[in-house]
Amino acid sequence: MVEVRLEGVTKRFGRVTAVNNVNLTFGDGEFTALLGPSGSGKSTILYLVAGIYKPSKGRIYFGDRDVTDLMPNERNIGLVFQNYALYPHMTVYDNIAFPLKLRKTPPEVIRDKVLEVAKFLHIHELLDRYPAQLSGGQQQRVALARALVKEPEVLLLDEPLSNLDALLRIKIRSELKRIQKELGVTAIYVTHDQSEALAMADKVVVINRGVIQQEAPPDTIYNEPRNVFVASFIGSPPANIFPATMDYTEEPCINLPGGTRHCVEDEYASVLWRMKPSKVIVGFRPEHAEIVENPVDGRPVIVGEVYTVEPLGRENIVTVASEDIHLKVITPPEVRPEAGELVYVAVEKGKLMLFDPQTEVNLRYIAREWSQGG
Amino acid sequence: MARRGRQALFFLLPMLILVVAFYILPLILTAWISFTPLTNWRVRDQLDDFVGLENYVNLYYLARYDPDFHKVLQTTLVFVTFTLFINVVGGLVLAILTYLIDERISLAYRLLWLLPRMTPLAVFGLLWYYFFYGGPQGTLNSFLLKLGVIDEPVRWGTDPAMLPYSAWAIIVFVNGLVGVSYGMIIFYSAFKNIPRELIIAARVDGARTWEVIRHILVPMVRWHIVFVTVWQLLSLITSYTHLFVLVQWSVVDKWYGTTLALYVFNTAFFDVKNQGFAAAAAVILVIIGSILGLVTLRIMRFSQMISPPRGDI
Repeated sequence: MVEVRLEGVTKRFGRVTAVNNVNLTFGDGEFTALLGPSGSGKSTILYLVAGIYKPSKGRIYFGDRDVTDLMPNERNIGLVFQNYALYPHMTVYDNIAFPLKLRKTPPEVIRDKVLEVAKFLHIHELLDRYPAQLSGGQQQRVALARALVKEPEVLLLDEPLSNLDALLRIKIRSELKRIQKELGVTAIYVTHDQSEALAMADKVVVINRGVIQQEAPPDTIYNEPRNVFVASFIGSPPANIFPATMDYTEEPCINLPGGTRHCVEDEYASVLWRMKPSKVIVGFRPEHAEIVENPVDGRPVIVGEVYTVEPLGRENIVTVASEDIHLKVITPPEVRPEAGELVYVAVEKGKLMLFDPQTEVNLRYIAREWSQGG
Repeated sequence: MARRGRQALFFLLPMLILVVAFYILPLILTAWISFTPLTNWRVRDQLDDFVGLENYVNLYYLARYDPDFHKVLQTTLVFVTFTLFINVVGGLVLAILTYLIDERISLAYRLLWLLPRMTPLAVFGLLWYYFFYGGPQGTLNSFLLKLGVIDEPVRWGTDPAMLPYSAWAIIVFVNGLVGVSYGMIIFYSAFKNIPRELIIAARVDGARTWEVIRHILVPMVRWHIVFVTVWQLLSLITSYTHLFVLVQWSVVDKWYGTTLALYVFNTAFFDVKNQGFAAAAAVILVIIGSILGLVTLRIMRFSQMISPPRGDI
């Protein structure tokens, strides 16, 4: 298979810059998810790789081959659309055979290949039907079959699961990943659904406003978001984010909402000493905090009033109001405080994230860049 | 069920009234007149004076022995066939071209092709009257004379040496110019309704422009092609206004520019004012039109294209 590389790629539509100076490598045989809100430019990147759009600036490589000026049909890619885009006037067989027919493949070979891929995806009994006679999941498989029958070097998936119902989505999710690993094809998967991205991908690329925010394995994206955007986009509910002032009398200490203080000891301390910002942006994940009756020493604690409680069965989401900040905390089912009750929110040790108030970059990454730089 | 029947009737009523008042009643009236010797609108004397099949018998003899009427029948066949071809295939080609080019140019281009349809009939007729005029002042003649292609003015639509083809070419050309925009508009909007992803998918699958047209665009507007074909066929069989102007102003030969529809009109209202005879010809025209319409639907396998409605209505 092949590695896909974008070098300094920019795409403008009129005055709008959809993708801004992106450098990105999709590893050979890797499953990469492009994750971002709608309008972030993730689909544009996919269409640039497909050759449907031409970059305004920059080059695109498949391995050593510069494909920037090649048409989609010269790139050997398979593309699966959100709405499948099956040809409604052709049978399933003809849909799958279409790319091979255009390549002037001999009919016997077409037959063999279509049957092979249809068996592989368990749709060999549907070959005589028309797309309108198929269920959403079946249409999805046909679309995948049409993309795979060409034996593409790169498989591009544009939100292929978002038209399916929730149960089917989870089932096909794992199946898609298995197929990709079995074929060893380089896969690029566009989605706005973080759970899909985290569950399926070897590497997640978070994009916002045409700029790459973070490019890392799912665990890192989740546990060590590079900036405020990634922290607030990933997670359900996403991380709590709020500004706080600093105090450097003995140690770097954060003035938390509700009047408590937390003095930083971990790896953030050295950065704070060096930068001495008067303010920081604080973040923590709702599942990394708990509601306690008495503050425990050492843990960062925020005092607030219970605002709402949302029972979800397996857990509760408790919203706590502290000053004008609303924090979400996930609690076990039995912890269900009354609205209006005064509570302490204690964050797990080492789970507090601090971001630079100007650049919104996680201070931990700044610390690492410094230690790498010398 | 009775209630639903009444509901259906209620919603169909306005259309039913229109159809009955402006189609069924005139049709019955025409059939009635075709059995009378009505001439010069002497309605009071002749409307209840039945002559049986006399008008139809006359029509039969005319079709058998009258050379002018032979010309009318030939002209009808040639006119309908070739203009229909231009209207459907030309409309399809124009729609594909305008679909493939930049949106703004496409809009200007489509408006340009709509001009003949928007131009009042008399102005449009006058334009071609000047263009094909037989004297040296005629646009085409003066142009070709200046270029030295011809030495003396040509009477394009009436010179016996070039008949019938020159007259046929002119009437097909002028009507085709008006009719082609209809197909273009219908096909263009049908193309616009094809999801963009289908075109992109075909491109990714390796289709060149020609293959996208052949495998995606045209098959997906099949229904529209059937519709435009039948619609244009029926309107070409029955329309006569442009031909009337061309014949009346002697742009083309009288008989090689007259179709059956124009013949009916002239017979009833213009030349001999023999309404009884014209009505008989009109009845035959309606029968021919109905048969051709049904045959076309059958050939294009219309019944296979209509699917039963989804859900409970």
